[in-house]
Amino acid sequence: MSVFDRRYELMPRRELEQLQLERLQALLARLRRNVRRCREQIGDATVESLDRLQSLPLTTPEDVARSFPYGMFALPLREVIRLHSAVGPEGKPLIIGYTRNDLAHWGRLVARQLVASGMTANDVIQVCLGGGVYPGASGYMLGAELIEASVIAEDPFHVDYQLAMLQNYRPTILITTPTNALELIRLMELRRIDPQSLHLRTVLLSRPVPAETRAQLRAGLFAAVQCNFGLDEILDPGLCVECESGRFHVNEDHFLVEVVQGELVVTTLNREATPMLRYQTRVAGQISPDKCPCGRTGVVIVPGERLDRRWLVNETPLYQNQIADVLDQTELAGHLLDIAVRERHVVISVELTEALLSDTIWRLENLQRKTEAEFLARLGVPAKVRFVASPRARQEHS
Amino acid sequence: MLLQVKNLRCGYGTLEVVRGASLHVCTGEIVGLLGANGAGKTSLLRAIVGLLPPWEGDILVAGQPTRGQPPWRSLSNAMVLVPEGRQVFADMTVGENLLLGGYHNPDRRLTMGTVLELFPLLRERLGQLAGTLSGGEQQMLALGRALMGRPRLLLLDEPSMGLAPLLVKEVFAEIRRLKDMGVTVLLVEQNATATLQIADRAYVMETGEILLEGEPACLRHNPEVKRAYLGKGYKEVWA
Repeated sequence: MSVFDRRYELMPRRELEQLQLERLQALLARLRRNVRRCREQIGDATVESLDRLQSLPLTTPEDVARSFPYGMFALPLREVIRLHSAVGPEGKPLIIGYTRNDLAHWGRLVARQLVASGMTANDVIQVCLGGGVYPGASGYMLGAELIEASVIAEDPFHVDYQLAMLQNYRPTILITTPTNALELIRLMELRRIDPQSLHLRTVLLSRPVPAETRAQLRAGLFAAVQCNFGLDEILDPGLCVECESGRFHVNEDHFLVEVVQGELVVTTLNREATPMLRYQTRVAGQISPDKCPCGRTGVVIVPGERLDRRWLVNETPLYQNQIADVLDQTELAGHLLDIAVRERHVVISVELTEALLSDTIWRLENLQRKTEAEFLARLGVPAKVRFVASPRARQEHS
Repeated sequence: MLLQVKNLRCGYGTLEVVRGASLHVCTGEIVGLLGANGAGKTSLLRAIVGLLPPWEGDILVAGQPTRGQPPWRSLSNAMVLVPEGRQVFADMTVGENLLLGGYHNPDRRLTMGTVLELFPLLRERLGQLAGTLSGGEQQMLALGRALMGRPRLLLLDEPSMGLAPLLVKEVFAEIRRLKDMGVTVLLVEQNATATLQIADRAYVMETGEILLEGEPACLRHNPEVKRAYLGKGYKEVWA
């Protein structure tokens, strides 16, 4: 068993709960002093034990979105040294700030996951998460650098280039999205490349996948597969550690997790810039009562589906209203459309009315190209526009 | 955990000074408790040893509740307080002060040998009246007197108070050596820089509440600690 932070990952429950109580009380004191919204909501409320957590108010994603941009910050902006954005309700941006300590903690928490995945200072790491689209890439960098592994800083945007890098740089650990890993397998099969000719030992995925996908990736890349589970608004990666037995242990010295009516609710205990008190994650989840043989004492969670109508298209979060907003900016606004959300792209079927019909196919092609470009530019999501005789006059999602 | 404090409330008359503080100290740790004047640090310490009756909350030493016990019982729990301002018995000699510290210790003569090895300066001054010692020497004597009780947990209240910076360094080096001897220390201080150099963990207290807990590296970079306790240009002074 490889454990990075033995003191905290294996901390006896009694001590861990005392530490959590101390940090929760300190968090309340800081929120009361520094965040107006919390001061109004919490008042003089205190918690004498962790069981009394339910007496504190919840924070919804809508609350955070309403406080945009800096209303939830617990420190002046000049103390914040990095700003990341997360996708909030209906695609609204949320700003998450990091102080120097927040970044140091982030690195340590990610290092816990990386060491649990078997990473050592002798490994070469390829991080392929689509650069700026997924802010977690910098978290992986921080963690890997803390372990002193060799990180390939370049994020290969094209799978062809990624494969070339895998062959040339010989990374032993690949950190990527499930979509990219499957794409890589497809390309290798197409080119008749034996996965054993690569040097991969472990593939760490940016999000949990079903057991069958995991098996497919394990066989296709000939490497152990581990998953991460995180939340952009809280911390992703770094919220939990997937151990050797495939269980997600919450880093409980930093996060307090509850399940409220089937929804995961997280409190950040150590965050300085943007602490969250009982944040409703809009993700279903369960807390597993099982004891894990790995020895980690952090509670085990089983993350489930999202509870809001948020899709993941080509690993990019997307809400229905975002599609409508983009379409309103194009010449297709006002036309009868049928929208289907697929795993890798959005399909827009447009009724070919007289208004659209032209004697040259060039006009339709131009409209198609412009709309697809608009989608990619505004949402980072590929779209396919099709002209059909009569679309089903409804919006369909799959 | 050697010491566990949960939701401790205490004060003087109707004035609440410590407002629901929780902290813990594990065996072998040096834990710092930082705060400005009037934050409630000393009151918290006095409540732990029983000098100030707590209003609410739990105090557990090695898992055993000690809240409400008289101060002398804390000695049997191997918990010794070194009070603020040293408070050595000025009219008694250094040797007498030390022996008094070992009042409950049947092997006090043996322990005294160990203490004098740790503080060779005290051996030279054994027959001298404690009141004639310098501030730094008195602090060493206070530490030595506490060690005569063979404590498992040593509670130090502002050992740097009134000492010149060079002497502070010496005293803190001695405290660090105590840790190597297996003594667990809860160190209450206003001198954040010096405390964060020797502590394994620290708490920051303000107006009766604990605001922060963490390892020294984190607290040193915490904007609030930097502003309130380390001051502008602290690096030039302490680097």
